Amino acid sequence: MSLINLTLRIWRQSGPEAQGAFHTYESGPISTSMSFLEMLDVLNERLILSGEEAVAFDHDCREGICGMCGSVVNGKPHGPEQKTTLCQLHMRHFKDGDTLVIEPFRSRAFKLVKDLIVDRSAFDAIIAEGGYVSVNTGGTPDANTIPIPNPTAEQALDAAECIGCGACVAACPNASAMLFVGAKVSHLSLLPQGQPERNQRALAMVKKMDKLGFGNCGNEKRCEKACPKGISISNIARLNREFMKAVLFSNEK
Amino acid sequence: MSWFLSVFQSSIGKKYIMALSGACLSFFLMAHLAGNTFSFLGKEAYNSYAAHLHSLGGFIHVLEACLALVFLAHILTAILLFIDNLSARPTRYAVSATDRSWSASTMPYTGALILIFLVVHLLNFHFASKMISTADQVKTVLGNPPLGFFYLVALSGLTLHISHGFWSLFQSFGANHPQYNRFLQRGGLSMAVILGALFMLIPLLALTTDGFLQ
Amino acid sequence: MQLDHRIPSGPLTEKWDRFRFETKLVNPANKRKFDIIVVGTGLAGASASATLGELGYNVKTFCIQDSPRRAHSIAAQGGINAAKNYPNDGDSIWRLFYDTVKGGDFRAREANVYRLAQISNQIIDQCVAQGVPFAREYGGLLTNRSFGGAQVSRTFYARGQTGQQLLLGAYSALMRQVKAGKVTLFPRSEMMDLVVIDGQARGIVTRNLITGAIESHTAHAVVLATGGYGNAYYLSTNAMASNVTATWRAYKRGACFANPCFVQIHPTCIPVHGTYQSKLTLMSESLRNDGRVWVPSKKGDQRRPAEIPESERDFYLEKKYPSFGNLVPRDVASRNAKEQCDAGKGVGETGLAVYLDFADAIKRLGEESIRRKYGNLFHMYEKITGQDPIKEPMTIYPAVHYTMGGLWVDYHLMSTVPGLYVLGEANFSDHGANRLGASALMQGLADGYFVLPATIGAHFATATLPKIDTNHVAFTEAKKTVHERIQTLLSINGKRTADDFHRELGHLLWDHCGMARNEAGLKKALHNLPELKKKFWSDLKVTGSGAELNQTLERAGRVADFIEFAEIMILDALAREESCGCHFREESQTEEHEAKRQDDTFSHVSAWQYQGEGQTPLLHKEPLVFDNVKLSQRSYK
Repeated sequence: MSLINLTLRIWRQSGPEAQGAFHTYESGPISTSMSFLEMLDVLNERLILSGEEAVAFDHDCREGICGMCGSVVNGKPHGPEQKTTLCQLHMRHFKDGDTLVIEPFRSRAFKLVKDLIVDRSAFDAIIAEGGYVSVNTGGTPDANTIPIPNPTAEQALDAAECIGCGACVAACPNASAMLFVGAKVSHLSLLPQGQPERNQRALAMVKKMDKLGFGNCGNEKRCEKACPKGISISNIARLNREFMKAVLFSNEK
Repeated sequence: MSWFLSVFQSSIGKKYIMALSGACLSFFLMAHLAGNTFSFLGKEAYNSYAAHLHSLGGFIHVLEACLALVFLAHILTAILLFIDNLSARPTRYAVSATDRSWSASTMPYTGALILIFLVVHLLNFHFASKMISTADQVKTVLGNPPLGFFYLVALSGLTLHISHGFWSLFQSFGANHPQYNRFLQRGGLSMAVILGALFMLIPLLALTTDGFLQ
Repeated sequence: MQLDHRIPSGPLTEKWDRFRFETKLVNPANKRKFDIIVVGTGLAGASASATLGELGYNVKTFCIQDSPRRAHSIAAQGGINAAKNYPNDGDSIWRLFYDTVKGGDFRAREANVYRLAQISNQIIDQCVAQGVPFAREYGGLLTNRSFGGAQVSRTFYARGQTGQQLLLGAYSALMRQVKAGKVTLFPRSEMMDLVVIDGQARGIVTRNLITGAIESHTAHAVVLATGGYGNAYYLSTNAMASNVTATWRAYKRGACFANPCFVQIHPTCIPVHGTYQSKLTLMSESLRNDGRVWVPSKKGDQRRPAEIPESERDFYLEKKYPSFGNLVPRDVASRNAKEQCDAGKGVGETGLAVYLDFADAIKRLGEESIRRKYGNLFHMYEKITGQDPIKEPMTIYPAVHYTMGGLWVDYHLMSTVPGLYVLGEANFSDHGANRLGASALMQGLADGYFVLPATIGAHFATATLPKIDTNHVAFTEAKKTVHERIQTLLSINGKRTADDFHRELGHLLWDHCGMARNEAGLKKALHNLPELKKKFWSDLKVTGSGAELNQTLERAGRVADFIEFAEIMILDALAREESCGCHFREESQTEEHEAKRQDDTFSHVSAWQYQGEGQTPLLHKEPLVFDNVKLSQRSYK
């Protein structure tokens, strides 16, 4: 373990309508075995004791699965490491004297709430449009009734690994949510259980995504690079196919 | 009609237009290039190719009209997408990522450059007075250093544009599979480079070789 | 007060059926006249909200995260148990029931556990129908793996993220009901108080975490699915926001708290590295299949592990438990690691870790094979610690993981406050004194999908529930109390942060109410607690205001509750003068230093009832009767 000192330039904004600006803080000595969020904890403890408001940032599980954390560090959502959430990014990846610019995820569809916190309820709204199989509790057939080939189940799980953190939107030059929507549509369209609502799902979820103000996919693959779960853009391609099938060959509107 | 509108108002629908029109434009480029190669065979061959093309009469006008429509669709949709995408992130990042792909990130700009080039190119050839032979026209226009250089720059832009566009149109249509992804990506890139190089060879020869098209 | 467990009569296997037949139902057309509040959107809360919405009730669902999908059930790795017997290896509902009762060291209710085992199969059917991508054989059928405490393979899983996939299934069902208008979501809302009117739970008071507004919500019943209290220890494998506030406030409104001292400590976590560590990360127990646990034989040996010769290594588990070796149950492994570290033989920077060494397994099976088996875990370990377990032994240490205790509930999952239901980790009901791996997900979903939706109707069909609104004096009073408390927290203006106090509380609990407890230590902790509480309320510093998003204030409120809650945890540990499951009282051990139950005196559920500020809570005992299993003492020699 060693100690490093960093300069932190953090976006501070007291509310959605307030004027925001970067504030510069010296981190003080930071252990390289700390996680990025623990580094922010240390800063916050100091700020509180000095009477300044702590930097607001979202976080919860701190083991890379809940999808709550995420900020843009030096231009990269979740920081420089690949397949890593911000809470799993450790300070040993930075050097003494580094300057870190920490910004919130920026997108029209993710309204800023405070400092580094944004409102990602748009993702919930998209899921509500069809990111499910319409089965009520009870009355379902035995789990082994429909065999699903192992590779198909694995592929569905690859897509279902999405943690809904929003890094794909943050990373996309166009703030598009195609990777998020593509992952959910893929997960369900690959499985037999998802077939009955397949067309309607693709249409409704895309419609909602557009309405919420996300941008358009430019096939630039930034989302795939930023995704902490490594979700592939092949899921976007599948969404493109699903949407086309639904538009051209189904009766769904 | 409402079905059509609702589909093509959607984000994915717009991508289909871009991809479909992009595919048509790629075919046009290939055909155009095939025609251009006559220039390497000499003045005679080139002029006779031009004459043959013009002799098609009505058919060629129909093709031109279609092409114009495709161009229009590609350009208008691109403008819509550009504006929409700009407004999707009202506040920009203070630090932007430095490792973006060149070809993808410059699509709107190379697109705009190609549009300017298109106008210049049409003025140079399509709407130019037909007093001299096509071969002479080529030699005069492209042999003029400022114009020739502009052609080279614009064609590099075109190369960059299609190097992303080729692969991208397949992705937009949902063609993405580990079996052929490498082929699509490499094939797209090679196509772009070959296409660009062959196109650029003409102004290059016109600028540097006196005997070209003589 | 008499604790009435309301377990239906009749043979064990028929109780649940009999209950469902005998219970009064609510007419489908009348269901929409009932409002239900569900607090928490983990497996239990999300599945309950969705199912109640499907049945036609009006549901209001609250969570503290920005989205219901983020509840901490999402972090469960291993899997979910069910008695499907797909592998044909002799499993049955009865066996799952027995394993669970035995695993809980005979401190759970037979009837509840049997019902859980019965429902387990339906859960798997339900999840598959929702599109949960469980692991499958090449033939396309579901596959199982084995887990601790069972001799059969009954665990269904989705890679190392079963909890995530199950939660996303429940969340998707929930969002479907949101779309249908049957569930209204209140994300970023924290329950601050329970409102009890005429002895019935009739609503909650919440704080809107965005605006700071204190809001009232009425209902005909309130369901708490707010998880466990492991974060009382400051460091645990729980999420940062996991807290005891909701259940604690319900306790203060009359709900009894049962077995608060039952806290499971998981043996294989990544050790603490420094003061500012915010949480502990669990590494799957499966690592102990091939890893050998050891410490240096000499105290304070500072050499690197590779420099310590075999003869100077103490493989203490293998030595002490020759037949089970490194595979002793969670509590035994945890306690022994602590013993070694307390004796000064711990390793790492803090001396609070033991080695888990794969060198022998690599020699035996080859690096390739070990990487294939544990690659993802090694990767996770390396990401956090920067060390490669192939080159150097892993360091591990136990961490607080799950709390078996919780609000007391009867067979209906109703607490001692009529109309207040408690599900999942927040209740005490099914795991006794120790939870088996892959059983938490099973219980959360059983409670939410199947049990509560069947039992809650009985309440509506029988209780008198007059119309109320948020102007009721009980609401205005509760709001006022909440408001005043927030103002107090903001006005102390002392010199220490809430986290600082939380760390102090954590140390106190870990040292005296952790893996091994004794009377002197518990009494000491009990003695120190009021001092800590006094310091908290006089030296706390909270910045900002109450009328905005203020995470500092949120944390302060939760820490205040943890400090109060710690008291009943310690009292419970003190009162239970036996060792059972995770609760190890040093006074009650066998000659071989193993946990020794005292079935004659302690075969009961301890339920604590609030008696007012500054008063010692009252202990009620619900006797545990075992008609179907034979009580036995564990041995792993």
